[in-house]
Amino acid sequence: MNEDLDARLRKALRPVDPGEQFTQRVLTRVANEPKRSIPRVSKTTMRWASATLAASLVLGVLAGHEWQARRTQQGLQARRQLLEALRVTRDKLDIAYRAVNDKDGSSTEAGEHRGS
Amino acid sequence: MRFRQILITPAAMLACARVAMGATPGALNLPNFDALTQKAAQTVDITLDAALLGLATGFLDSSKPEDAAAKEVIRGLKGIYVRSYTFDRDFAYPEAELAKVRKQLAAPGWQSLVVVHDNRAHSNVDIYICMDQGRASGLAIIASEPRTFTIVNIVGAIDLAKLHALEGKFGIPRMQLDEKK
Repeated sequence: MNEDLDARLRKALRPVDPGEQFTQRVLTRVANEPKRSIPRVSKTTMRWASATLAASLVLGVLAGHEWQARRTQQGLQARRQLLEALRVTRDKLDIAYRAVNDKDGSSTEAGEHRGS
Repeated sequence: MRFRQILITPAAMLACARVAMGATPGALNLPNFDALTQKAAQTVDITLDAALLGLATGFLDSSKPEDAAAKEVIRGLKGIYVRSYTFDRDFAYPEAELAKVRKQLAAPGWQSLVVVHDNRAHSNVDIYICMDQGRASGLAIIASEPRTFTIVNIVGAIDLAKLHALEGKFGIPRMQLDEKK
């Protein structure tokens, strides 16, 4: 069974000479094929592309600077707010401190609770 | 398996409830005081979340004592929120809003640290600390005078020792507080 299949396959796939005419036909077709032109980029297009690229770069740098400036502004504002917040906290802690440590205690009802 | 579910479920529900309520331990839900801004002679409205605190840290100059102290204090903090309003006349602010904030401090976790009531000057300062799993996770200060009220809420791992250091650097007198951790 297998030998029969092998033989049939060998017969079906045997090399066949296409003949002289086939080669001739291929060569003729290649010779008659119209030449494909490579698209050329015009100078104007190149100029526009360069200008666009340069503009993009400039815009990118400017945007980066703008972002950095805004970030710095936000950072300085956050710093100012932080120091202000700590000053307010200080002031209120100071009131509590003075009241707790007020030795007279006549006019102030102060209590200190300690957490566990 | 069933026993584990029984144990996990209440904890998960509590955590979910916290997330649902947007409640970070130590964080107060501050009322909207926008309407007071028009009436107040002076307003301090500071909201510094973790991102802004991180940003501010980058702009602190460690060579300056004040900045260096601030840098130490805010390490581990998740937010600092300050609302302070000063008015031209007495008791122009709504007491109910302050009561709302005070009510939040009655929740489990918050402990009263210092309570100062000066009846003659109508001056009150309440300092609370929030404890979460044995660690300080928030500080709240509510101070009111006839023409001024201030709410400070510091959220995050507050180190009282650092607060002492802040006192020294910012000219704050040192408080004699027992630190039980």
